[in-house]
Amino acid sequence: MPDPFRLLEAMVLLTALVGLLGLIWRRNLFLRALALDVMGTGAISLFVLVAARSGLRTPILARGELALTAVPSIAWADAIPQAVILTAIVIGLSIQALLLVVIARLSRLDPLLDTASFEALVIAAPPEAAAGRRA
Amino acid sequence: MVDPTTLDAWLIAWLLLPFLAAFSSALLPRLARPLALVCVLTTLAWGVWASLPGRQVLFELIGSLGVQLQLDGVAAPFLLLNALVVLAVLVDSWRQPPPGPFLLLLMVLLGGLNSSFLATDLVSLYVALEVVGITAFLLILQSREPRQLWIALRYLLVGNGVMTLFLIGTGLLYLYTGSFRLQSLQDLPPGSTTLAVGLALVMLGLLTKAGVFLSGLWLPQTHAEAPAQVSALLSGVVVAGGICPLLRLALLLPAQQPVFTWVGLASVLLGLVYALGDGDLKRLLAWSTLSQMGFALLNPAAGGLFVLGHGVAKGALFLAAGKVPSRDLSLWGRQPLAPALALPLLVGALSIAGAPPLLGYYTKATLETLPITGIPGLPVQLLGWLLPLLMVGTAAVYARICWLPLGAGWQVPAPGGLLLALVLVLVGLVAPLLPGGSPFPSTAALGKGLGVLAAGAAVEALRRGLRRPVTALGFRHRLRLPNLESLIDLLGALAVVGAGLQLLLLRMQPLSADLLVVEAVCLV
Repeated sequence: MPDPFRLLEAMVLLTALVGLLGLIWRRNLFLRALALDVMGTGAISLFVLVAARSGLRTPILARGELALTAVPSIAWADAIPQAVILTAIVIGLSIQALLLVVIARLSRLDPLLDTASFEALVIAAPPEAAAGRRA
Repeated sequence: MVDPTTLDAWLIAWLLLPFLAAFSSALLPRLARPLALVCVLTTLAWGVWASLPGRQVLFELIGSLGVQLQLDGVAAPFLLLNALVVLAVLVDSWRQPPPGPFLLLLMVLLGGLNSSFLATDLVSLYVALEVVGITAFLLILQSREPRQLWIALRYLLVGNGVMTLFLIGTGLLYLYTGSFRLQSLQDLPPGSTTLAVGLALVMLGLLTKAGVFLSGLWLPQTHAEAPAQVSALLSGVVVAGGICPLLRLALLLPAQQPVFTWVGLASVLLGLVYALGDGDLKRLLAWSTLSQMGFALLNPAAGGLFVLGHGVAKGALFLAAGKVPSRDLSLWGRQPLAPALALPLLVGALSIAGAPPLLGYYTKATLETLPITGIPGLPVQLLGWLLPLLMVGTAAVYARICWLPLGAGWQVPAPGGLLLALVLVLVGLVAPLLPGGSPFPSTAALGKGLGVLAAGAAVEALRRGLRRPVTALGFRHRLRLPNLESLIDLLGALAVVGAGLQLLLLRMQPLSADLLVVEAVCLV
């Protein structure tokens, strides 16, 4: 039986890798943004996992539980990664929102959201720049 | 002497000021310009304060596990650069600000960059760089044309993808060190796989943000297609947001310097080849940014100053390039330019090429004064001719721009560019007199600098001479460089660079102890 922590760690990293592969290989822009979110999920779960390494009990105490801090046998979770990842979750959410707004705008040009059709915008665009590239 | 707690309070107030100012300017748009000016000037003042010798402030918010910030000699040139470039953009848009909340975003960008220069723990760095990334994205979106929508989307996809990888690397490093501090990476045992993966992911994130090597392939198209003022910001300071933490990392981990060296050299070469092969003014400038950022990684102790010299010049060049009638370099020099527009272009180009009385000459000379061990990871005998050769390449790139006839007229189309050009000239003239500044160049150094420039001009003359026969013989098609800028290339390059970094870090043996002692002395 392998160490469950290592097993979970491997699965979390695999999630991030799957997200990265999706980001690279999907042609549809919306699916690319979705793959980015999968990657973000991997990162967040990694932090949750890291926090749970030293124990599962969240170090938040009610008024009557202060005596618990003196009990050495309780395995507390690490509060620092948990606190830190909250910021990253907020940032990830806002970036997803921005991405989706721009993708919605771009869908007026190509409703299929194929990446290639947007790349053609830059390559074939203004006459002066295109002339420069040919010359 | 100032009381340390008062100093900390002032420092925190200064870091928060741009964000508060941006918020107030959203409520009272009339105040936007004076508020932005105040933010810029305070940044300039702190930059000057920090660049005096012996200044170092380390402070922690919310205890020893919280945010850690450090104002020191590493951050000082970056703060100066930030203030100067944003000031120039502000001057440029003083009369008629661009559409949308431009000034508000400018202040947030200034604040985010200041934080990223000062942050010395990985999580604060992540937050600061994401703030910078989102602001840059919104700035590119200024006019909502489809092309700019696409360029901005591409920038955010690549930037956020790589920052997610950075976050994963941070988590893996925390597993080992139990801290997010950059300093805690110093006392890590070498040879662990998880550790190499974590460090490689963190480095990949910073390299991509800095626009170095293949991970910086997003840079040319983004910087070329953005509006002129935004290009100046992106190429001048936003890339520095990635370079500053990279330099901190390189100074803390001298054993890993060979990785930085090789990535830097590869970036210099890639940027030079593509800059020489491109026919568009703004794209040439952007490719050259990619190569110049590689130079900065070669000598981390002098990299900050080098980025300062480059950023000021690049800001001037991009601000002026926005007002040039045609960006097409094959038509370059047919139309005479007004002196006030040609001056920033000429001075900026000459400064980056390293012409003696300008600021760029001194920053380049400091970069070349290497520690006695040379560049770790590179044979010393190679170094003697490789660096000058790369400098000749840079001079050849900028010789293409210097070929321009002056027209007549007194109109000033790009006042911000002119301001930066004046800074380049004045600081270059004053630099030898500053305390701790470089001395007046000796005749040998001067001769070498001029030799590099002459060789660069000769390469350009050769290129011009060969253009007609190459076209006539039909080689032009075959000589075209492959296009590496589709989205799949950018994202694939991230994976390739990440994997390469991991292999390099795993194979890297720690330097022997006595070599480390020698290096530590040089780096101090």
